[in-house]
Amino acid sequence: MEFVFEIILNLIGFVVGLAIGILSRIGFKNTGSPTLFRLTIAFLSISIGFGAVGAGYMIESLVIRSGEIESWVQTLGIGIQTIGYFFIAFSHSIKSFFPKSRYFRSIIVPLFVIPGNSIEHIIRSISFILLIYGTIETIMSYMESKKSGTIFVASGLGLLALGEFLGWYSVLFPESVLYFISISTKIVGLGALFVPISRVPLMGMKHGGSL
Amino acid sequence: MAAVYRTHMSIIGDILTTTRDEIPDETGASVTYLIRKANVSHARISKILETLVQQGLLEQTNSDRACKYKISPRGREFLQAYRGFREFAENFGLRI
Repeated sequence: MEFVFEIILNLIGFVVGLAIGILSRIGFKNTGSPTLFRLTIAFLSISIGFGAVGAGYMIESLVIRSGEIESWVQTLGIGIQTIGYFFIAFSHSIKSFFPKSRYFRSIIVPLFVIPGNSIEHIIRSISFILLIYGTIETIMSYMESKKSGTIFVASGLGLLALGEFLGWYSVLFPESVLYFISISTKIVGLGALFVPISRVPLMGMKHGGSL
Repeated sequence: MAAVYRTHMSIIGDILTTTRDEIPDETGASVTYLIRKANVSHARISKILETLVQQGLLEQTNSDRACKYKISPRGREFLQAYRGFREFAENFGLRI
């Protein structure tokens, strides 16, 4: 029962992340915007991260049946999600600190900035910091634009940060309900991210040229 | 008040919007008019206009020995999609 709940929650995260990632990809294909390119990487990473953890639980409950998910699967999934959170935070840092140049800053710079750790709680703490940064920047954007959609995204990122914090804290109390609360909070956060996106009138453009 | 940096994409959006909504006559907008409306240098706008014409987003017309530009049907579609995706990015507090 515990595994079923985790599988469902992770699959919801996978689907929501994938939907936003695909919309971003369509946007990038149509406009060539580096921002949409980074959002594509961010949300596809988040989706793959949730998917990896969900698949780990599924394989465990259907095939291995040892009663416990392999810790490296969990770490791998969270690590992939962290890459996604990094790209969201990085897009904001570019807007705030590097207002010029294009593709170099999209991909090359992050490789020199992101540290390579594989320990779960360190990854969670990195995710937390990135998400808090993204939340603060999004709130500041809301203060400028006053767009209601932006506050949904800020709330979503904030809930993802809270989810990461609780997930990190659950490492200290592995048998508690903290992990469930953590993943539930993250799913609600992803849902909040999707609310404004679902209201944006996006049409299927056929323009594929580079501007 | 801090200066707002405009991305390459937003300059294109401004040019297309001008050629759609603010052309002075039916023959289209001149380069000088677009420079004034989109607030871009001559060197930069020349490159952008060339690209937009090549991509089929703008139509170039010759009137009184001067080049003028009008938005094409494809440009209108692009502008509509651009606005949708701009809103998409703005929801994340970002600019495209």
